Amino acid sequence: MKLELGNFYVKDVLFGEKTFYKDGILTINKEEAMNFIREDEHIIDLDLVIAKPGENTRIVPVKEAVEPRIRPDGRAVFPGVTGDLEMAGMGKLHALKGCSVLGVGMHWGSFGDGLIDMGGEGAKYTLYSKLINICIVANTDEEEERYEQQKKNTAIRMASHKFAEYLGSTVKNMEPEEVEVFQLDPVTKRDDKTSNLPSVVLVMQPQSQMEELGYNDLVYGWDMNKYVPSFMNPNEVLDGALISGSFMPSSSKWSTYDFQNFPTIRELYKEHGKTINFLGVIMSNLNVSLEQKKRSALFVAQIAKSLGADGAIVTEEGYGNPDADYILCLAALEDVGVKTVGISNECTGRDGASQPLVTLDVKANALVSTGNVSQLIELPPADKVIGELQALARDGLSGGWSYDEVLGSSVREDGSVIMENNAMFCGDMIAGWSTKTMKEF
Amino acid sequence: MKKAIHYINQFFAGIGGEELADHKPEIREGLVGPSLALNSVLEAEVTHTIICGDNFMGSNTDEAVSTILGFLEDKEFDIFIAGPAFQAGRYGVACGTIAKAVKERFNVPVLTSMNVENPGVEMFKKDMYIFIGGKSAAKLRDDVKVMANFANKLLKDQETGSAEDEGFFPRGIRAQVWLENGPIASRRGVDMLIKKLNDEEYISELPIPKLDRVEIARPIEDLSKANIALVTTGGIVPVNNPDRIQSASATRWGRYDISNDDRLEAGVYKTIHAGFDPAAADADPNVIMPVDAMKAYLKEGKFGKLHKYFYSTVGTGTTQAEAVRMGKEIVEKLREDNVDGVIMTAT
Repeated sequence: MKLELGNFYVKDVLFGEKTFYKDGILTINKEEAMNFIREDEHIIDLDLVIAKPGENTRIVPVKEAVEPRIRPDGRAVFPGVTGDLEMAGMGKLHALKGCSVLGVGMHWGSFGDGLIDMGGEGAKYTLYSKLINICIVANTDEEEERYEQQKKNTAIRMASHKFAEYLGSTVKNMEPEEVEVFQLDPVTKRDDKTSNLPSVVLVMQPQSQMEELGYNDLVYGWDMNKYVPSFMNPNEVLDGALISGSFMPSSSKWSTYDFQNFPTIRELYKEHGKTINFLGVIMSNLNVSLEQKKRSALFVAQIAKSLGADGAIVTEEGYGNPDADYILCLAALEDVGVKTVGISNECTGRDGASQPLVTLDVKANALVSTGNVSQLIELPPADKVIGELQALARDGLSGGWSYDEVLGSSVREDGSVIMENNAMFCGDMIAGWSTKTMKEF
Repeated sequence: MKKAIHYINQFFAGIGGEELADHKPEIREGLVGPSLALNSVLEAEVTHTIICGDNFMGSNTDEAVSTILGFLEDKEFDIFIAGPAFQAGRYGVACGTIAKAVKERFNVPVLTSMNVENPGVEMFKKDMYIFIGGKSAAKLRDDVKVMANFANKLLKDQETGSAEDEGFFPRGIRAQVWLENGPIASRRGVDMLIKKLNDEEYISELPIPKLDRVEIARPIEDLSKANIALVTTGGIVPVNNPDRIQSASATRWGRYDISNDDRLEAGVYKTIHAGFDPAAADADPNVIMPVDAMKAYLKEGKFGKLHKYFYSTVGTGTTQAEAVRMGKEIVEKLREDNVDGVIMTAT
């Protein structure tokens, strides 16, 4: 399977007369763009705002991030979501690099939403401060969940995917500045040199722990709660087969942008044919009951064994309860003789003294840590807020609170905030971008 | 200039060795023994040295601690440093005991240094900075220097590093740090996997502590011939606590002859366990150490023999390492006496 990713490096994004891309500048006709987004009648109030790296701007509540892309052959960027089901992972794909479409609540936040600071001290806590963010700031008519802590955020999230494709269409017929090729030959049809290298799979555990449909990550539009692990080509992940959901505390989330650029897949590709034989991805999920968790671990171990994997990297989109799925899966693989490495964050509490993962197993003897979800973060006021700052305190974001007898509210009168890392948008860069680790003190 | 107070034992003060380990606490102005080395590298003045015999601290802990806290009541100091204690077990425990009490009372940073073999490490590493020290006094200058380097950062409000960077025993606290220009997590993971696949050394960023699980023993086949012993962590001892078992964080155990008793009488036995309200156990020690019930069962012939001693220690605050050591020592004795089974009671 061969995927050619044509990159266009966006240096600036502006509003203007026409929507087009030229020489690194993406210009957007705001009115036309807003009319496109408003085609979904559930969007009842809307603004489009551009946030650039280094600005003293705070964005909250952020629900989703998507890289603008287009398929020149007309297939949907997110099959089963923004268009018909077609196989992803092959052919040509164009991407506007260095920017993302953010889905932001105009007022209302929910448990899995996060915060992004574009400048100052807060910028280091999330990768998204380094991107030019085109923010869909919207209010919706989803009254049934307005006062719920858990929201599906369907309208805003779907608008982000569609609008990313809308912006991507500016480069549909252009020559990319650079083309990256991701190619894996069929597992049984690889050259001798590659086949003789240690075989490695990537096991991904996307978030799927809500039994009610509509909150979870989707694979080809299918809710991953009703799913058992299967074998996928990594190109499918890079090419929009998966989209993010609306449940996990933000710092432990994989946004759709994360899936599209999944760094662990990219790092495994770099080694493919040199030090390892990258077999592909075993796409698992995260579950609620122990029986479900065991079933998924069993499927993963069997697929890895049957494929002849010598090694596996296991990575989870979450912390807390999903640690059980993560550790079970690592142990199940070790039990069938597959050497494992895990990549995840930890929850050691505000004082750092708690057990780092919910379950532990000595078989998980090679782990990479990407951060502590419960680290307390204090940030000064920002000049500008995109969205609504009070959402952090009022709406039950996982790392915010309205009242604490010692710390007060997460949002102070002067606009400064105190929060847990939990509410930093994709703050633990758990997809693999994190340059954080955990140390003993 | 900031001020420091230093704690050492009778040996390092030049008072004497084992024969003078009952030396009562005293405080002297200025420098004594290792304080000289400390004062020379610390960016604070060591104004006083406190000296206490290791046995006195171990056997009369409450008195020793309250006396020393009394010495400090009217002193100004910014930091409290104890030891280094090297491999000397009682000295290490004394350093930990007094440093913990000083930290709780005066809320100043407390530091000490011990060798990894020192039981004080397990007992106190979560309560304070214990620096990884040498085995003997030959390492005095090195150990003092490591402590002082760190103390100087604290005194100047400078940022301090991780346990590994600074050289102290991890206190059970894990926090996130940014790796300067460090590789991203994905890269670290791939590199770690390649090393693991090639059987090369790698370092897990989250070491999982090994749990010591004890398998459940097989049932005794013929109870009518079995020799059964009673063991407790509930702190039941003769009222004068002849083995001076500590009321918390125990390092000692005792065994007491019950061959002539049908039950443990109140006033003869009591609990010295500090982790619960002792009223019920003191009124009837059998509620923790059921000698009465066992003697009754013995008469009924439910089992063959009740071992002549019961064994006792205190479970509260006791470290796993100390518990394992005491357990092994007790098992050795039980084996010598051909005990077939044990009833272990806790609180």
